[in-house]
Amino acid sequence: MNKIFSIALLLIASTSFSQFHTTYDWEEKPLLHELTEVEKNESSIAILKKNIVEFGKSKITNNVSVFETTHTIIRVNDEKGINTHNQVYIPMRRVKKLKGIKARTIAKDGKITNLDENNIKQIENVEEYGNFQIFAIEGAENGSEIEVLYTVEKEYSPFGTENLQFDYPVKRSEMVFISNGLISHLKTYNTDQNFERTYLDNFLVEELVLNDIPATSEEDYAAKDAYKIYVAYQCFGNADLTQEILWNNTVENIGGNFFPTAIPKIVIDEIRSNILKKDEKISEFEIASRLDNYIKSNFTVVENNNPQLEEIDYILKNRSSSDYGIIKAYAHFLKALNIEYEIVVTANRYQHKFDPEFYNPNALREFLIYLPRLNQYISPDRIDYRVSEAPTTILGNNGLFINYELGYYFKKIDQSDTDYSKIIRIMDITFSDDFDKVLIDEDQEYTGHWGFQNRAFMALTTGQQKADFEDYLTGSGIEDKNVTKFELGNTEMNQTEYNLPYTVKSTIESSALLQEAGESYLFQVGQVIGTQSELYQERERVYPIEMQYPNEYNYTITVDIPKGYSLEGLESLVINKKLEVDSEILCKWDSNYEIKNDKLIISIVEFYRTNDYPIELYEGFREVINAASDFNKAAVLFNAK
Amino acid sequence: MKKILLLLLFINQITHAQQVIDFDSEDFYYLNRSQYLKISMDADKFNIVNSVSEKGTYNTGNKLFFANEFIHFDSFTEIKDIEAFTEIPSSNSKIKVDHFETKDEFGNGIFFSDQQSINFVFPAVSKDAITTLKYKENIKDPHFLGSFRFGTYVPTKESIYTVEVPNNVELGYKTFNLENVDITFEKKENKNTTVYTWKAHNIGEFRKQENSLSVLKYIPHVIVHIKNYEIENVKKPVLKDVKDLYSWYTTLIDQIKDSDNSEIFSIATELTKNLNTESEKAKAIFNWVQSNITYVAFEDGLGGFVPRDASSVCSKKYGDCKDMANLLYEMLNHVGIEAYHTWIGTRDRPYSYYEVPTPIVDNHMITAAIINGETVFLDATDSYVPYGMPSAFTQSKEALIGITPDDFKIIKVPIQPKEKNISLVKTTIKLEDNVIKASGKRTLTGYEMVDFVREATYKKDEKSDEEYLNTKFQIGNNKTTYTNIEFGELSTLNDIYTITYDLEINNYAKSIGSKVYLNLNLEKPLSTDVLLVENQPFGKKINHKFIKKYETTFIIPDGYKISSIPENISNELEEYGFSFKFIQEGSSLIVAKEIYVNTLAIENEQYDGYNQFIKSLIKAYKKSIILEKI
Repeated sequence: MNKIFSIALLLIASTSFSQFHTTYDWEEKPLLHELTEVEKNESSIAILKKNIVEFGKSKITNNVSVFETTHTIIRVNDEKGINTHNQVYIPMRRVKKLKGIKARTIAKDGKITNLDENNIKQIENVEEYGNFQIFAIEGAENGSEIEVLYTVEKEYSPFGTENLQFDYPVKRSEMVFISNGLISHLKTYNTDQNFERTYLDNFLVEELVLNDIPATSEEDYAAKDAYKIYVAYQCFGNADLTQEILWNNTVENIGGNFFPTAIPKIVIDEIRSNILKKDEKISEFEIASRLDNYIKSNFTVVENNNPQLEEIDYILKNRSSSDYGIIKAYAHFLKALNIEYEIVVTANRYQHKFDPEFYNPNALREFLIYLPRLNQYISPDRIDYRVSEAPTTILGNNGLFINYELGYYFKKIDQSDTDYSKIIRIMDITFSDDFDKVLIDEDQEYTGHWGFQNRAFMALTTGQQKADFEDYLTGSGIEDKNVTKFELGNTEMNQTEYNLPYTVKSTIESSALLQEAGESYLFQVGQVIGTQSELYQERERVYPIEMQYPNEYNYTITVDIPKGYSLEGLESLVINKKLEVDSEILCKWDSNYEIKNDKLIISIVEFYRTNDYPIELYEGFREVINAASDFNKAAVLFNAK
Repeated sequence: MKKILLLLLFINQITHAQQVIDFDSEDFYYLNRSQYLKISMDADKFNIVNSVSEKGTYNTGNKLFFANEFIHFDSFTEIKDIEAFTEIPSSNSKIKVDHFETKDEFGNGIFFSDQQSINFVFPAVSKDAITTLKYKENIKDPHFLGSFRFGTYVPTKESIYTVEVPNNVELGYKTFNLENVDITFEKKENKNTTVYTWKAHNIGEFRKQENSLSVLKYIPHVIVHIKNYEIENVKKPVLKDVKDLYSWYTTLIDQIKDSDNSEIFSIATELTKNLNTESEKAKAIFNWVQSNITYVAFEDGLGGFVPRDASSVCSKKYGDCKDMANLLYEMLNHVGIEAYHTWIGTRDRPYSYYEVPTPIVDNHMITAAIINGETVFLDATDSYVPYGMPSAFTQSKEALIGITPDDFKIIKVPIQPKEKNISLVKTTIKLEDNVIKASGKRTLTGYEMVDFVREATYKKDEKSDEEYLNTKFQIGNNKTTYTNIEFGELSTLNDIYTITYDLEINNYAKSIGSKVYLNLNLEKPLSTDVLLVENQPFGKKINHKFIKKYETTFIIPDGYKISSIPENISNELEEYGFSFKFIQEGSSLIVAKEIYVNTLAIENEQYDGYNQFIKSLIKAYKKSIILEKI
């Protein structure tokens, strides 16, 4: 959705300024680089990642050109390394001219294999990514270095970003930014280092050099892509546009598109026949929900290059739209229904942390519709969500909120109802007479994000995926589980009641939950809550904690104590862990038990009040998460009296 | 008056039991899917047009994403005359698709292919909408008539396949999985043409499933091929039998570019110069290609069938299966080892060359070498498979071995016995302060080794070693901590791979009162493997036969005795089995466990027997020992 910026800056480019990138080249006689033992153990390591971004204004035409040069040298040390780097894809989106591709491999023995340019292939209109030039690296073997250098001339856009961190380490990263006297702004993210102004070959440049950038880390409860080191830049022809001007421009653009003044008759007709009858009096929440249900059951969001998918008349007739166009459809209906709304421009929090202080339209690809009177959101292109809190992929990110007067403000997209997502589980557990089987009768309620996710998952998946999900809904990790009853309630995705729970009533049998030990039986009661994730500590935590959403679990597990048996080992059921900051409990696990009328009653409360925790709190968070995993191992012993 | 020649040969109701499908409970299904394949001849040139027609309907608005439609094609086909529209019964309206986009296909492990798709979206779909798609496929090469599947990813009410051939063309066909389908077949001979028609009703949904046998073993379908045609009383073969297929393949092999092979020959000579036996030489060359040529897949028209010349593959250091097969072929023959180009289908193509002599049978190429009179199958696309073993995914499949331009052999790739694929896990366990402390050594051979080494090479760096092993081996519970992990050399060149580690497991032994309860089955392979036809309707695929052996020594802690030891137990069947033995020797308890699987497939009707076996295994896993203070 790169349509939110449209100040007419400068038009067609042509080039006559002196250009730095034309003088840049690789070593004529390359040698293999020295690496440490640790570096040799990596599957691959970038010895150099260099990006040159050069803007320049033609002295004759006054037009701006942009050149981007990419130069990489990568050592590949094993098959995984080779496979990661021996296929090169150069995206051609916005590229006017490809100014030469060079690639070579320097083998362990120094032998050089150059890319045969005839082996470069073109692929066109790939998914939603546009065209590519692709080639396979020739001569790559273990221990060799793959070197690629190319320059593209792109259509002028004042904005760009460059990612500097990857899933393999980088020994040296250089970014050279040349504005050739044009007004520009640069910002670095997720590093303390900044660009420095210097001269290279008599060109005044901004240069950023980073050494030893580690590979990104795979961590649970983390948003690794959003924490990559990257650079965002802006370069304007002659105008010095402040961030405020840029945001204002976006607001104007969006306002014009998403706050219609006239409502086509077809919208009114559709409302009368499908959403709200004349004189029907229902709550605003219900009206908004009906609208959301109606659009999601009748409109298809399409990814292709048909420009008509953004025209309201076409959208209403064909009931197909782009992800941008569907917001127009919502806007027309909301306006007609007299529901106040604001448009929210934001980003997926796992990919990008929205920065109000630096305008970067490339990153702002997500749109929500905020309903201020309800303090709820519509997620236009999410078929799983209906009027609700913001979806989990956005929750916690900042957003640009635009109202009908084209006023705007920035705000963190928070959850308004902290109790929104809950699981309540009531289990009654009995044993077969011969102590061979455990029988579990369970009633569950899932609200909030869980409710939406369960409905969508069960409605939209099939086969093994659906079977796996059913397994999760009846307690995963029980080896020989036999589900004898499985009843779901409130499964329809189109709902109009606020936070209606998704219900699951099930009965399962398992023999594996009982272990035989001589005359006694060890009941693995902890396993009935399903497999719990475990956070390890072998590597130091890199990223702050991001959970999907705040949540709470409440369990009541009632275990029948068969006549003639006594219970031992109950102490393993008692686990209390909490993370408390400024006398506020941010998350906790609390499990306890009592014995009443020949029944063992276990109660558990587990909650996480927010979805993000700073890295300093990781240890405390880990203890709570792992407490659930500890409980999962709890067992009690039935002894014959 | 001209007599209309219309001879009804036979109409045959092929089926018996019919599947009951509740179309009303489907979000989306096909009312009709049909294809009309018309073959005609213009002199000795084929003109082959396949007219496709599909009509689907929506019962709900849940799965509107089915409105996204794709027509896939490659350079052997041309798509024409597309017509696509949505009908909305309530408003009696019809809206045409007005935007089609052609895209290059990309991904699926293929670097570059000539696959393309025409993409579009049916407009205005919602509950009760009916979508119609019609187009024509021009098939440019008579070797690629393809197949028709009566079922697809959602249920189909009616599907019709018609093939019309001129009477001078002989059609071959083979049907698959029609046993339980409501289907009729009709062959009509007209004056100039013969028309074959299959008409099926109420076909269920068929989707590819992971860990299942090929869906092609279940989906009702028919494969057709042109056997031969007659021109001026001369019969000309196309694909009458596997001989025709092979002779076509040899014309493709003949198209390999001539090149100067001196460099690869000198590499082959150098690799083998100090080696005496043929098998040592073949192993050296095979290992070299495995570790020096990277697999990069190309599917580019007939180029997808013609190997690139060996010397360019060697200098580029990459190639696809046929490129590697041809390189091996050249290198082996150069050092005097008899080697042949070999075509083969992977296990997901469940066809025989004898039944359908068409290129649909195979999707892969390897090299067959004759070593001491034995045929050895060499597949260097698997960088980890040990010399002497075929790639696991070709086991049991027919290999078409090209001996000379006129001579070929078909040999089944042998299924590797379980004794070749062993995981041997030796563990010594101590109990200290209720914490399990163990040291483990795993020795892997055959495909057990291949699978581990490949996966570890690609995945172990994503997580810490400890987390990786925790998820991989699942020893004890997910709280197991690992120390002193020695991955050793992640390589299969030595035909045996060993990894060692020490473990600590908290929360595992249960100390209750004066007793300690301990389950010595720290690993429980297959314990979650109960199969249900509802979840896994297309059988269970097993990649290779295997044995998992566990030799566990438990050191009885000082001051304790074992008061209860489980009895020895076994359940050893032909296709799978286990045995657990417990022996107390002085202050140690030794547990010897063996679990094996001796088949590559569990078919649906075998689920019950398999599940009984799994349940008996779970019962065996349930038994703990009890320690008591002396």
